[in-house]
Amino acid sequence: MDRRSFIQLGGIAAAAALAGKSTEALAQDQAASPNRPARNVASPPAPGGQPAVVTPNGSTLPWRVVNGVKVGHLIAQEVDNEFAPGLRARCWGYNGGTPGPTLEAVEGDRVRIYVTNRLPEPTTVHWHGMILPNGMDGVAGLNQRPIPPGETYVYEFDLRHAGTFMYHSHFDEMTQIALGMVGMFVVHPRAARGPRVAHDFVLMAHEWKIDIGASRPDPLAMNDFNVLTFNGKSFPATEPLVVGRGQRVRIRLGNLGPMDHHPIHIHGLNFKVTATDGGYVPESAQSPQTTVLVPVGSTRVIEFVPEEAGDWAMHCHMTHHIMTQMGHRMTPLVGADTRRLDQRLTRVLPAAMTMGQTGMGTMGAMQMPIPENSVAMRGSPGPFSTIDMGGMFTVLKVRERPTAEDAATWYTYPPGTTVERADAQRMQADGIDTALGPDAGER
Amino acid sequence: MRIPFTTLISGVLLTGCVSTAIHNDLPQVRELARTSVPDGVVEGEVNASTDSQVLQALRQPVDVDAAVRIALAGNRELRALFREMGIARGRLLQAGVVPNPVVGVEFLPERNSRFELRVEYDITGLILAPASSRAASSEVDAARFRAAAAVVATGLEARADYYSFVAAEQKLAIAQQALDALAAARDAANAMRASGNAAEFTADVQIAAYERARVGVSEAELEVAHRRETLTRLFGIAGGEVIWHSSGSLPEAEHQLSVPDRVETTAIEASFALKEQRAHLEALGRQAGMASTAGWMPEIVADVHALLGHPESTETNSLGDDWRFGAGVDVRLPIFAQNRGMAGALSAEFDAQMERYIGTAVTVRSAAREARNRLVSAHARVRLYADVIVPAQQRVMEQALLQYNAMDLSVFELLNARREQLDVELARVETLAEYWTARAEFESVIAGALVHTREGAR
Repeated sequence: MDRRSFIQLGGIAAAAALAGKSTEALAQDQAASPNRPARNVASPPAPGGQPAVVTPNGSTLPWRVVNGVKVGHLIAQEVDNEFAPGLRARCWGYNGGTPGPTLEAVEGDRVRIYVTNRLPEPTTVHWHGMILPNGMDGVAGLNQRPIPPGETYVYEFDLRHAGTFMYHSHFDEMTQIALGMVGMFVVHPRAARGPRVAHDFVLMAHEWKIDIGASRPDPLAMNDFNVLTFNGKSFPATEPLVVGRGQRVRIRLGNLGPMDHHPIHIHGLNFKVTATDGGYVPESAQSPQTTVLVPVGSTRVIEFVPEEAGDWAMHCHMTHHIMTQMGHRMTPLVGADTRRLDQRLTRVLPAAMTMGQTGMGTMGAMQMPIPENSVAMRGSPGPFSTIDMGGMFTVLKVRERPTAEDAATWYTYPPGTTVERADAQRMQADGIDTALGPDAGER
Repeated sequence: MRIPFTTLISGVLLTGCVSTAIHNDLPQVRELARTSVPDGVVEGEVNASTDSQVLQALRQPVDVDAAVRIALAGNRELRALFREMGIARGRLLQAGVVPNPVVGVEFLPERNSRFELRVEYDITGLILAPASSRAASSEVDAARFRAAAAVVATGLEARADYYSFVAAEQKLAIAQQALDALAAARDAANAMRASGNAAEFTADVQIAAYERARVGVSEAELEVAHRRETLTRLFGIAGGEVIWHSSGSLPEAEHQLSVPDRVETTAIEASFALKEQRAHLEALGRQAGMASTAGWMPEIVADVHALLGHPESTETNSLGDDWRFGAGVDVRLPIFAQNRGMAGALSAEFDAQMERYIGTAVTVRSAAREARNRLVSAHARVRLYADVIVPAQQRVMEQALLQYNAMDLSVFELLNARREQLDVELARVETLAEYWTARAEFESVIAGALVHTREGAR
């Protein structure tokens, strides 16, 4: 045994030792884990000056190059995921997180990926969208024997095509995907294609059903998903994307949620879909969009150049996907006169109050007591008021000097560029009379 | 009806003696029952006015001890039983009376005299009087035991009825809260319906549920009135006196239940029913013995007589002064009539009473076991409610409120959770009333009462 193999074996032994730790220990070690570097820190750039991808709230899997093969190690295990402050759940994932670390390599690379199963049931890994030898495709029973709990199997194949792919369990998918056994796999082209981008982000959409007060996603759910995430985080826990005004930005969107497609909408700009997990979209077929539908089991790569600085919303446009965990069994009372009910309720249940009779936009700021390990429907302090959004929502921060910007600060609006209360004299000058009835408005 | 003067005189004298005797019996009854009974229950003539102590007690909020005191002082049936002790006492007095002498005066009798004075006395009656008195004294004992049993039973009834009444008041309050919860659900449904958020069906369901619950409240109100009247009757009060108030809700049961050992033995030793029957047996035994004795004892009547003058005297205005004295004895020999029928009847009655006595002992033992079982069971259940179920339901309610705040429960589900909590509270009150009643029954059993399962304990 030579020194190189000793080092290689030592690395595997260390990984195995890591895999033997308890979930709690892993959760505590998460920040210090070599598989989870500091957030938003990109891996080394790809050939041709292509920037490495950034996985907000996530990480990139480190490779060890052995005889020209990129060697990585995925540990399938239970993980403690914080979806948002106040809501944690025991999920299944890879290397301490869900989604698992982003795998990032270059077209033509040969990769060898060890998969250690620390789950209570067998698992496999399917390399979604990749063209590879059939025996490496990861479908349990069809292409391979499932990896039993406690064992490590190895996948090895060449990355023949560049693109934005995904990986996920292909054993007991209903359970394992619902619990988070998913991740992104980015293969850069050997030579850069198209205009150079300054920022390359990975956002993986997912949906979960976590009952109010529960601490494990329900893998049996077919609908009523109540926690919607980008990279395992629900707003306000989603890290903003900080980009430079006038700089080209690429965002790689993936969706391995159980059931729902997501129309992802970005404010303040338009973009083009440049690729899917099937390959590049010819420029002639690209069209300007403001919303891209990301179906279940697909990736979409969009590119754009933001012209306007500011804090721009980016979110799924399904309205129930931009709420967090609040239930949907509330009594609809919009427009109801609840004075009599309020009086009665005060007597019957003094701690209860009627909700929703004037709409629900301000409920996030009510700070009503809710069950432990649950989060408010939506809402986070914003520069003007509570941002009544949640779930699959993040902020694209377009700045003049993105590298010097503190991602936590809000955009500073130039004077005269924000919405203000209308001045009465100006309204009068413009012929606006709010005292008139509903027919007063122009049709 | 004309009452002979002598009868009236002797009757008044007898009544006076009996009344005094009842007064003397009362402390013994108190001691037997270990309960304070006011002297007023046997004082003076019977009248319809309510005892002043009762009236004073009713002006204050009535707690369970006050309920017992009021019932012991005011209950007419109990007072009647006290008065009935006078019957036995009177019979005892009568039984101990020795026979009166028979005085005879005869003019121109057939005997050899012109005037005859004769005194006869029933010797046999004189001899049998003490035995008759002893038999009657056993009946006095029996009457005392009967009165003591009635005191304990009335105390138990007062406690049980009081607990039932207070429980009914609490259950009414709970039913009203549940109705309020349903009214809130109805108001919510109406508000939803009026604002276009729900179909008429939603409102109708809630309205129907509310209206159904009103029947339950009405029944609860009737139950309170019924329980109040039951207690009012027991108190022996009427008219304006029936306005009284309870002092509050049922107290919580203690954490640890202490049940004395040898419950059956204690109950047997304390049983007034057995003591009363034993006294009856003694009386019957004495009566049977006396009947037997009287059967073979000759009836002896002794007489002394005095004769004055001679019927053949020639002196016109003189009867003569030669008094002659004599004496005699009449003996009726028990050759044919030996009182065997009476003795046999009394002997048979004794045997029958003995069977009942043994049967009563069996019943007392069984009642003691049953009272203990019910007490232990009721205590276990009431503690289960207090320590586990009520807190658990409280947590359910708290969590329901949190889930409601989290929009995971509708207002109807929230109010339903409140009603379920009130249902538990209702069951807790019922079980608590059952416990206190069972406890009163158990204490009464070991104090000597013969207790059968009460409907109110269920």
